[in-house]
Amino acid sequence: MKYFIKKAVTLIITLLFISVITFAAFSVIPGDASMTRLGTEATPDQIEALREEMGLNKPVTERYILWLSDALRGDFGESYQYEGQQVSALLADRLPVTVLLAVISFLMILVLSVPLGILAAKHSGKWLDTAINQLTQITMAIPSFFLGIILTYIFGLILKWFQPGLFISPSENLWGSIRYLIFPAAAIALPKIAMVVKFLRNSVLSEMPKDYVRTAYSKGSSKNRALSRHILKNALIPVITFMALVVAEILAGSIIVEQVFSVPGVGRLLISAISTRDYPVVQAVVTYVTAVVVIINFVVDMLYQLADPRVKAA
Amino acid sequence: MENLLEIKNLSLSFYENGAEQKVLKNISLDIGRQEIVGIVGESGSGKSMTALSMMRLLSPAAVITGGEILFEGRDLLKLSEKEMESVRGDDISMIFQEPMTSLNPVMKIGKQVEESLILHTHMKKDEIRRQVIEALTSVGLPEPEKLYGKYPYQLSGGMRQRVMIAMATICRPKLLIADEATTALDVTVQKQILRLIQKFHEETGTSVLMISHDLNVIKSVCSRVIVMYNGDIVEMGNTQEVLRHPKHDYTKTLVAAIPDNDVPSDRSSVVLEAKDLRLSFKEKDGVFSGKDQKAVLKGVSFCVYEGEILGVVGESGCGKSTLAKTIVGLNKHFTGSLQMTCSRPQMVFQDPFGSLNPARKIGWILQEPLKARGIRDKKERLRLVDEMLVKIGLDPSFKGRYAREFSGGQRQRISIGLALLMDTGFIVADEPVSALDVTVQSQILKLLLQLHKEKNLTMMFISHDLEVVRHVCDRVIVMYLGQIVEMADSDELYKNPQHPYTRLLFSAALDGHKIEDNDDSEDTEAQEVPQGAGCAFYPRCPYRKNSCRKKKPMLRLCGDNHETRCRAGALK
Repeated sequence: MKYFIKKAVTLIITLLFISVITFAAFSVIPGDASMTRLGTEATPDQIEALREEMGLNKPVTERYILWLSDALRGDFGESYQYEGQQVSALLADRLPVTVLLAVISFLMILVLSVPLGILAAKHSGKWLDTAINQLTQITMAIPSFFLGIILTYIFGLILKWFQPGLFISPSENLWGSIRYLIFPAAAIALPKIAMVVKFLRNSVLSEMPKDYVRTAYSKGSSKNRALSRHILKNALIPVITFMALVVAEILAGSIIVEQVFSVPGVGRLLISAISTRDYPVVQAVVTYVTAVVVIINFVVDMLYQLADPRVKAA
Repeated sequence: MENLLEIKNLSLSFYENGAEQKVLKNISLDIGRQEIVGIVGESGSGKSMTALSMMRLLSPAAVITGGEILFEGRDLLKLSEKEMESVRGDDISMIFQEPMTSLNPVMKIGKQVEESLILHTHMKKDEIRRQVIEALTSVGLPEPEKLYGKYPYQLSGGMRQRVMIAMATICRPKLLIADEATTALDVTVQKQILRLIQKFHEETGTSVLMISHDLNVIKSVCSRVIVMYNGDIVEMGNTQEVLRHPKHDYTKTLVAAIPDNDVPSDRSSVVLEAKDLRLSFKEKDGVFSGKDQKAVLKGVSFCVYEGEILGVVGESGCGKSTLAKTIVGLNKHFTGSLQMTCSRPQMVFQDPFGSLNPARKIGWILQEPLKARGIRDKKERLRLVDEMLVKIGLDPSFKGRYAREFSGGQRQRISIGLALLMDTGFIVADEPVSALDVTVQSQILKLLLQLHKEKNLTMMFISHDLEVVRHVCDRVIVMYLGQIVEMADSDELYKNPQHPYTRLLFSAALDGHKIEDNDDSEDTEAQEVPQGAGCAFYPRCPYRKNSCRKKKPMLRLCGDNHETRCRAGALK
């Protein structure tokens, strides 16, 4: 419980810290939203008036505190780009799509990489291991966006398993939405699967010669039993940490892949917001994404503690 | 009656990069029913390989090139992997050396102990649980019900080794192999573990194969001994007979005595004086738990005279290594005073494998202290290095080699040379010979004594080996839980121990006699009792009185140069 509180406090501090950094970053970039809105023809007076109206002339610290107190109530202000639209409403539309995409790719990674990693370790040095190794080597080298293009071409244009560009919203038809998202999810997941397989294989192999495994054999355990009852849990401990990194990368990957598959998720929103200097949206998205990453790290820490009893003592 | 196990002409080789290295050369031995047989030999002699062959748990690089291992008439080498699985843990089981790493760190103790029963019997769940609790109780572990759900990291080394024994014996094997089962343990725990194995043997008639590099371990439990050297069996027979009248040269060197220190120190000048040294380590760090402090040194005062060898003994965790590190300046956050009249003492560490930089050549490593001393001239440095190499019994040409190319004994020589090159007259040696084979051990001790004699070297010698300390040291400090409990000249201390803890240490040390059942030392794991104002040794003391709980005993003079906190150990 003490451990939980400790981690929870760290989580809140991290979130605050990141919101300060993003806010600071946008305030040092030259130019602001007033210019974008008024265009290049605007007179300094007009800009000044708009800045006054938007509250951009106030000092950074004051703006941050205002923003923070609103944000804590769930109000991220109005979008500059889509006039009159609340940022929170914009996010509410796009977030479920990105979350669904991330969940599907995470499940793909989990379901495929754990058995493949164990299989490769169990048959290390034999043809199966070599085959898995070659395959992971290749998929690891392909960037997600390129993989996305290939998948669109093969499954969208040739096989016609889905119609590229015709995304179905999950609120309309969840199943249809999932069927569409499988392909962008695969584009994100495949390189990560390769990484996790390699990582898990090496982790299992490094556990194999340890003393406790020999003890397990000395009690009469078969190779399979030693692997499933003894080695696996020990080998998964470092993989759990690695998975947290993978989740962060899934979110990063989704930004690009959403473009390729024209999925209206947070990633697309972010890119259009950055290009139009729609700061309230950017700030909100960055805060959301970091919150997700940090919360996942928190969950991983909790899982870690379940897997390795020694963490509690340390 | 036929033998339980017979090895006939067993040969084994290691294949590395296509090169063959013979590890076992055509060995034959047998183990009778209800017999305890010992195998003694130094590291690399093939004793562990022999044991692992019986279990067929060899690493893939080791290949059996010939011979057979008959267990109750069946050749184990011809069994399928599946048949072998049913032999392991049920007919033959094994206890390993490292209790710290031999248990699965993320599996509960109960689960680990019950695994053999699940694999080899058809017992029901509650029956298995009952048996496990019974097994944990029989190896002297307190609160077995609670222990069931604990993890290995919550247990001390001795407790883990007890768990290993419970695990290895729960299926009542016909043969129990103990491979250096007590080597990593404290003397006090070592004896308890040996007695436990012996008790199990007497109660069940299980044959035991005891593998050790320590003659005293073999002498105290085995009726028959096999001496191995370089993959060969060089001698075997009745333990007493073989060790009293060794025939083979190697056995003779094994039995060879520890060298004696024959230079008395005059104790005219003090080189180090420590007063009330105290040191605590933070148990945890972090925002919410910064306050947990564990006191490791609790007011240690003593002095070291020029030219003497001062021994420090005590169980692991008593603070002896912390004391050593504090003296050489590796711990900065101590309180109390530490005055030295000489230059900073140098340290020689226990582990000759870990304490030399693997990426550098020996010549470079040995020059480092000279650079620290400000000797700029490279030729001069190399000359001094050559000189030192000769002095520590190595060849100057060894400069160009890496640490991995040396044996444990040679590395320890290099560590000693390294300390001496700092031009110090004072060395702190923390278990300098504990990781070495007996024969190498005596060579290193000879080197230290010779340097002591030639250079009037002052030394603090930290060891858990009471025999070595007795032979080498002028004076001895006995430590218990961060305090000095007794301090005296070594002859006096060994003849006339006063403190009950010193007495316990001495009685636990194996002296080559058979372990008696009616021994007066404790047999359950020492439980940590919260310390109040009373005597720190109270929970374990066989002579304790009610008053000991309230009053903290002080160090008092009780004879010539003899100080102790308690004299109860002298009464009996």
